Amino acid sequence: MEASSTARITCSYLDSYVGKNVIVVGKVVQIRGDEAVIDADGNITAHLNRECHLAAGNGVQIIGKVNPDLSVKVLSSLDLGTNVDLSLANLVAEVSHQNKDMFIYD
Amino acid sequence: MTSYGGGGGGGYSRNNYGAQGGDDAGGFMGGSQTGSQGGGAASKNYSDDSLRPVTLKQLVDCKEAYPGSELKIDDTPVTQVTVVGQVRAVNPQTTNITYKLDDGTAVMDVKKWVDAEKADDGDPKFGPDAYVRVWGRLTSFNGKKHIGAHNIRAIEDFNEVNYHMLEATYVHLCLLKGMPNGPGSGGGDQGGSGGGDSMFVDGGNGSNEAAGGGFGGGHNARLATVSRNARTMFNFLHNSPGGNEGLHLNLVAQGTGLSVRDVIGAADELLGNGLVYTTVDDETWAILDY
Repeated sequence: MEASSTARITCSYLDSYVGKNVIVVGKVVQIRGDEAVIDADGNITAHLNRECHLAAGNGVQIIGKVNPDLSVKVLSSLDLGTNVDLSLANLVAEVSHQNKDMFIYD
Repeated sequence: MTSYGGGGGGGYSRNNYGAQGGDDAGGFMGGSQTGSQGGGAASKNYSDDSLRPVTLKQLVDCKEAYPGSELKIDDTPVTQVTVVGQVRAVNPQTTNITYKLDDGTAVMDVKKWVDAEKADDGDPKFGPDAYVRVWGRLTSFNGKKHIGAHNIRAIEDFNEVNYHMLEATYVHLCLLKGMPNGPGSGGGDQGGSGGGDSMFVDGGNGSNEAAGGGFGGGHNARLATVSRNARTMFNFLHNSPGGNEGLHLNLVAQGTGLSVRDVIGAADELLGNGLVYTTVDDETWAILDY
């Protein structure tokens, strides 16, 4: 219906998505107040909102907007527990960029 | 239909329903089915009904050739689909529950019809942000597409989300470029829809392989049964101007990127199948044409 997509990305794609909404699946490395560091093929700084309930060491999916400084302002987060294959998640991000006709509206 | 089966059954059903369906035998089934779904094509082939993993973007992007025609993705008709996504909004109504599903590629409505016989079937079971897998039928209604869900279940293992994305990609690429290493089918599809496209994402052997798909299907069916290495080597020989003298082991290894050991194995296979022959020495091969 709506011709818009939220791209699945890893750290290295951040600079192509400044100002856009993205999905990042990674592992919570560190939480400092309302900031968290998430590892998705590289560390990403995420600015959390009040509804975020992250646990260090767990996998997490965040949906958020990429800031000009390449941090991500979190709009929604989902704790995924520990049983998440992160290399698989990174691979899906790569594959989705190789097959944009299936995954991403430019 | 089958209930009118034995003996004069055929005549019975034809007399009663033939006039109304305007078609003999199958007309009854086909007519009533397509009527309820609004699909104009009376000769719908239900044997083609397969369950296909897709992304929502594929469903949003697919267009019907003319109003009422079947919907196609990658030139293949789609009916039953399975998708994975997050519920964004829930809208319970008396006859159905409409979920807004978002899988990151697009957003689409999913309608689950309420079974009035079942108690509490009308209560939404999935709240916002829950990941669910949906099995259903892609339906176009008044130019607006939605998924009519047969079944929805919650996803417990998040890896299933990623798995689904890869599976959908796999099916997409198979339909677009032919099966990897598939006997025959690779060749056919290649000629039909793929054109000159490489079968594989990365280059290198890809071009050799892709050519092999077309070649294997059209020219020599025996090539379809050999291993990938053997096919790569065959295509290299086929595409290289070597004349009758053939190409030496080292040149083949260099050109195909295979190891010397692999080339020898591939050559044994091709020799066994009568596809190549040795020329000036035991390590030089040319394609056997006759």
